[in-house]
Amino acid sequence: MFTTTQVGSWPRSKALLSALRSYQKGKITRQEFNRVADGEVLRTVRLQEEAGLDIIVDGEHRRDSFYSFITEKIEGVKLMSLAEMLDHVEDKSSFEEMLNTLDVPASAIKNPTCVGRLSRREPLAVDDLRFVRSISDKPLKITLPGPYLLTRSMWVGAFTRKAYRNHKKMADDVVKFLREELLELEAEGCEFVQFDEPVLTEITMSGDSRRRTFM
Amino acid sequence: MIQGVDGLRIGIHICRGNWSKKEEVLLAGDYGPLLPALKRMNVRQFVLEYATPRAGDIDIVGESLSDRELGLGVINPRTDVVESREEIVQKAEKALEYYTPEQIFLNTDCGFGCFANRCVNVEKTAYQKIRSIVKASEILKAKYT
Repeated sequence: MFTTTQVGSWPRSKALLSALRSYQKGKITRQEFNRVADGEVLRTVRLQEEAGLDIIVDGEHRRDSFYSFITEKIEGVKLMSLAEMLDHVEDKSSFEEMLNTLDVPASAIKNPTCVGRLSRREPLAVDDLRFVRSISDKPLKITLPGPYLLTRSMWVGAFTRKAYRNHKKMADDVVKFLREELLELEAEGCEFVQFDEPVLTEITMSGDSRRRTFM
Repeated sequence: MIQGVDGLRIGIHICRGNWSKKEEVLLAGDYGPLLPALKRMNVRQFVLEYATPRAGDIDIVGESLSDRELGLGVINPRTDVVESREEIVQKAEKALEYYTPEQIFLNTDCGFGCFANRCVNVEKTAYQKIRSIVKASEILKAKYT
C-alpha cells in the first residue's frame, strides 16, 4: 500500500553532461561513456535506497532524453537537434514560433528522426535492467517512450517519406519494436514498465491539435 | 502492443510537459478529454500529475478509472520548494475516496531531467523531494494498516 516510486529521470551531473557531449561528438567511445554513466546510476540508486523508495529507477543517465535515446538502438533513426530539423519541417515559421513560445531551446533538445526502415538493433532497456540488478535488490521500474510519442516525433516528412508511405505504416514498426522490448523485459523478470506518453495532452489541450510539437 | 503480456506491471505516464521551469509555458487542463482513450487502454496503472494545479482534480480520473492503479503525482519536479509530508498525505487521502491503499502509488509528477541538457532540478532538492514521499507514505501506512 502507498508504494513509493518516481517517474524516471534524475538530474545529470556536470561530469555526466560533459561525457555525454564528448560521446555525441565522437570524442570518447560508448564504453567510456557507459563507465561514467555506471557511476552516476550507482549513486542515484544508492540515494533512492537511502531515501527508502519501494521501487527505484536508474535515473536515465544513459539517455540524451527519455525518447531520443532510441537513436543508437533502433536501425533507421537519426538524432537531430531541433535546429537541424527546422529547415525540413513543413511549416517552418509556426514551428519556430512554437519553440520560442514554449521556451524550448532548439539546440539543446534533439529529435529521433526516422530516416529508414525501423528495426530493433539492440535492446532499449534490457541492459539498464541488468546493470541495476547487479547493484541492487530493490524492485525496478523501467521507463520506455510510448508508441504515440514515438510515432509523432519520429515522423519528419522530408526524411521519413523515403522509408514509409505514411505515419500508420511507420507506427506498425514502432509497435513491433516496443513489443519485442516488452517481451524481453518480461522474460528478464522486470517488475514494472512505464510507457511515457506526454504528447497525449498536447492533442487535447493545445489550441491546434495538428500543430507539430517539438516532441 | 501489450496484449498477452501479463507477467509484469504495465503503466502509462501522461503529463503536460517538463521541459521548462516556467509553469506558464507548460500545458494546462484536466484528464477529462482523454478519459475515453484511457478507459480503452489495457494498462494496470496510470501514472499521473497531480502536484501541479494545471492537472485538475483527482475526481475526474477517480470516478472513471478506479478499477486500475493510480500512480499519484505528489511532487512537482520543477520547483525548489520541497512538498511537505502533510500536503502529500492530504492528496493521498483525497485519492482514497476512489482507490484502496493498495491501488495508490506515490510518485513524482514527472522526471527531474527528462532532457539531459534541460534538467529541471538539482540532485539535492530531488533527494529531499523523494524523501518527503517516503515520509508521507510511512504516515499513511501507519494510519491505514
